[in-house]
Amino acid sequence: MTEASEVLAALTRAVLEGDDQSVVGLARRALDGGLAPLEMIEQGLVPGIRRAGELWEEGEYFLPELVSSAQAMKAAMDVVRPALARHGGGGELGRVVIGTVHGDIHDIGKTLVGTLLAANGFAVSDEGVDVPLERFVDRARELDADLVCASALLTTTMAEQRELVGALRRAGLRARVMVGGAPASREWAREIGADGYADNAVAAVAVARRLVTGEA
Amino acid sequence: MRPEELRDRLEERVLLLDGGMGSLLMSAGLERGRAPEFWNLEHPERVEAAHRGYVEAGSDIVHANTFGASPPKLKAAGLEGRCREVNAVAVAIARRACGAAALVAGDLGPTGLLLPPVGQATVEEMAGAFREQASALAEAGADLLSIETMYDLREALIAAEAARATGLPVLASMTFESRKRGFFTIMGDPLGASLAALADAGADAVGCNCSVTSSVMVGMVSEARRSVSVPIAAQPNAGQPRVTPQGTAYDASPEAFARDVVAIVEAGARLVGGCCGTTPAFIACARAGLGTAGVR
Repeated sequence: MTEASEVLAALTRAVLEGDDQSVVGLARRALDGGLAPLEMIEQGLVPGIRRAGELWEEGEYFLPELVSSAQAMKAAMDVVRPALARHGGGGELGRVVIGTVHGDIHDIGKTLVGTLLAANGFAVSDEGVDVPLERFVDRARELDADLVCASALLTTTMAEQRELVGALRRAGLRARVMVGGAPASREWAREIGADGYADNAVAAVAVARRLVTGEA
Repeated sequence: MRPEELRDRLEERVLLLDGGMGSLLMSAGLERGRAPEFWNLEHPERVEAAHRGYVEAGSDIVHANTFGASPPKLKAAGLEGRCREVNAVAVAIARRACGAAALVAGDLGPTGLLLPPVGQATVEEMAGAFREQASALAEAGADLLSIETMYDLREALIAAEAARATGLPVLASMTFESRKRGFFTIMGDPLGASLAALADAGADAVGCNCSVTSSVMVGMVSEARRSVSVPIAAQPNAGQPRVTPQGTAYDASPEAFARDVVAIVEAGARLVGGCCGTTPAFIACARAGLGTAGVR
């Protein structure tokens, strides 16, 4: 018992420190040692990425630390996910299409949200920047996406977010829509009929989880 | 212009920079999602009118419309392979507006490339991009080079090295936010140490621009003053942006901005101007405010 809790604590620490090499080694050894994959995720990896998010919100972590933690989380998830599938448990939390809208080439926030969503168990298809409306719609249809996330960093491009909501609805797709980016706001999301808004990447994960699972 | 000439002028008096360009061009009809650099080629007269507004407001230094004219940014905007042309045209436009009344600064913004761990760009590709833009600006006859809005010290240093290689005076500004333990970039570079590193790398003046209001900028300049001995530049935004149905609005008045500009100079800045949301009215007010305060 002590041993399992030590392994879980080491996994948490490795994610928090963004140490993707040791987290992969730890995850492999833990699986070989018979630790349940779901327990590893819920009690080892997730507390690490959550804490990294908290430290970022508190101003202790900056972008490089947060990205490193997300990458460590993702590397560990790549090891654990196949085992999880064999145990017949968990699968992905939901399918997400994410991109920065047409005319806008800002990458950082969108990539961060995509990485954190993937780290938290979503299957994420990152379409990059300057993504045309049709591409968002086509990918959402192909993947039967649960959620489409659109980032806009310019007041000149945020109108694309409104058009995206309309285009997805007209296409009859079930995907919910989350918007973000410096000029966006909760009021803006409401005005354009989007389902969710988050003002930072950590908050985006919580909003996505709520939109996809219906949990509070 | 030689670096010593700029330093001599800064010893004589405070130099006034210009204000925002993108926001001005948008109010002149720049289409949403369009890079401002397109207008150097398509509507040079409108870019020139924006510059002229700043010259008439009293700017001593005007930034050419080249903030996004590095090869990677131009490629993303749909102007691939046109770095030399875009920068040359932009400097010529600024020169027409300035005449002998103001200096023309070639503007170098971030490449948009991200170094590890956040992105996968290499130092070599970033250095190549800055060398190409800096030499294009120098060949076009810019009087000095102004690096702006850098959020990663590594990229700022790469830009400074490329800019220095032209032999022109170099102003290097980064963008910091107020965080729990002080002023930092989004990458976690602290203000004092970052500006000191840029000064050590040979920048003739260093400073802070964008991200913050003029009142927060006063504190940033005080910290910069404690950290470096080279001249300090400050270009704050016009207050906080708010989204309105008509577009983005900034909440500071030119008068409030001008009061902070005096405080910024008293805190130790030798180059002062505005960033997002500031217009010629802000610069004119700042000029009047500095005159009234008798600041030199």
